[in-house]
Amino acid sequence: MEKEEWINRYFEGILTNAELQQFEEMLQNDTAFAEEVAFHKNVKKAITLNEREALKNKLRKLEAPKANSASRIKWLAAACILIFAGILSWFMLYTTSSDELYAEFYEPYPNTIAPTVRGTDTTDDTTKAFRHYDAENYNEALTLFDKIYDSKGEDFALFYKGISLMELKRYEEAVNTFKELNTNRNVSDFSSESQWYLALCYLKTNNNEEAVKILKKTAEVQSPVQQKAIELLAELE
Amino acid sequence: MNEIQNSIRLLKAGDQKTITAVYKENRAGFILFCSRYPIDGDEVADVYQDAVIALCENAKKGKLDTLSSSISTYLYAIGKYMIFQRLRKKKTSTTVINDEDGASETEFEYEIYDEIEDRAVSQLREAFAKLGDKCKKVLSLFYYEEKKLDEIQDMLGYSNKDVLKSQKSRCIKQLRDLTQNK
Repeated sequence: MEKEEWINRYFEGILTNAELQQFEEMLQNDTAFAEEVAFHKNVKKAITLNEREALKNKLRKLEAPKANSASRIKWLAAACILIFAGILSWFMLYTTSSDELYAEFYEPYPNTIAPTVRGTDTTDDTTKAFRHYDAENYNEALTLFDKIYDSKGEDFALFYKGISLMELKRYEEAVNTFKELNTNRNVSDFSSESQWYLALCYLKTNNNEEAVKILKKTAEVQSPVQQKAIELLAELE
Repeated sequence: MNEIQNSIRLLKAGDQKTITAVYKENRAGFILFCSRYPIDGDEVADVYQDAVIALCENAKKGKLDTLSSSISTYLYAIGKYMIFQRLRKKKTSTTVINDEDGASETEFEYEIYDEIEDRAVSQLREAFAKLGDKCKKVLSLFYYEEKKLDEIQDMLGYSNKDVLKSQKSRCIKQLRDLTQNK
């Protein structure tokens, strides 16, 4: 048998026992042959290591994706929570401070039209309305102020209607009421005051832009509410 | 039984889907199985991968053709064998290793190569990667999958054995040339 044949059969594993013995002897006695066999053994080792590494890389990827998607989901969830928290706290901060300012600056306008006096005529709508207003029965007061305005078109009715609406937390309607008051009469007893309350309504409904616009005008005109307007404006800017 | 034989056949053919499926199916059980041994989580994953590799290699070599147990059992057995080899190398514990059946010692004809590679082998690995596809195929079938020349002749459709032998010779010569020029 040629050397190459010996080597092939050796690796194929088809050498008989007797042949194997002979093979071992050849390894001992023939250095060149021993080197050749060693070379082939290294080839086998090299290919095996390559194949194993290739498979190992593929298997590693099977481990990794789980970790990836799990941590990616966690990252996304954390990011969402943070963003949400951020928006929430910004929103809360924004609304709370508006609320706080509103609470600080708002108070219902006092009854300057018909202070309740005992003994006087109590059937008059105006008196009745203000009696309710003073007693903080704003729903009843509202109805009556409406009636008064419809029949007599008095400024004060609209003004106190607005305040009543604010007390009832119906701010959108209050805004419309005060706006109506301002368009109707350019000069009215209540122009500055109604502007002031209009601004407060805007503040409460988180419409700071509009509030600031009005406050600026109010701050320039001398009136009982001028100082308050200046102060609130300072807070908002 | 049929299912196991089918899986082994697919593993023998190197079917990626089957390998992935086997890997995923047996992972949890294997990790649980290894929890009784003194190795940490990272190493368990490493051992598992090595065990699966050994499974695939032995399948290709035809050593699983007569498998009587399930693939899981075989994997656990390989795993145990590999863990013992690692622990022995570390020489940390001499009493903890409880080898109840002792079978893990000799059952596996699987050579675990040392981490440290000698230069000759490294050169050959690089050189092998540079060979043409035909040579890679012939040499892989012969040296890695341990197939006989007759089998290879059939598989690759060589007209006669001598032609195949010449081809193999030339491929070996190429490898030798590639590594000797360094």
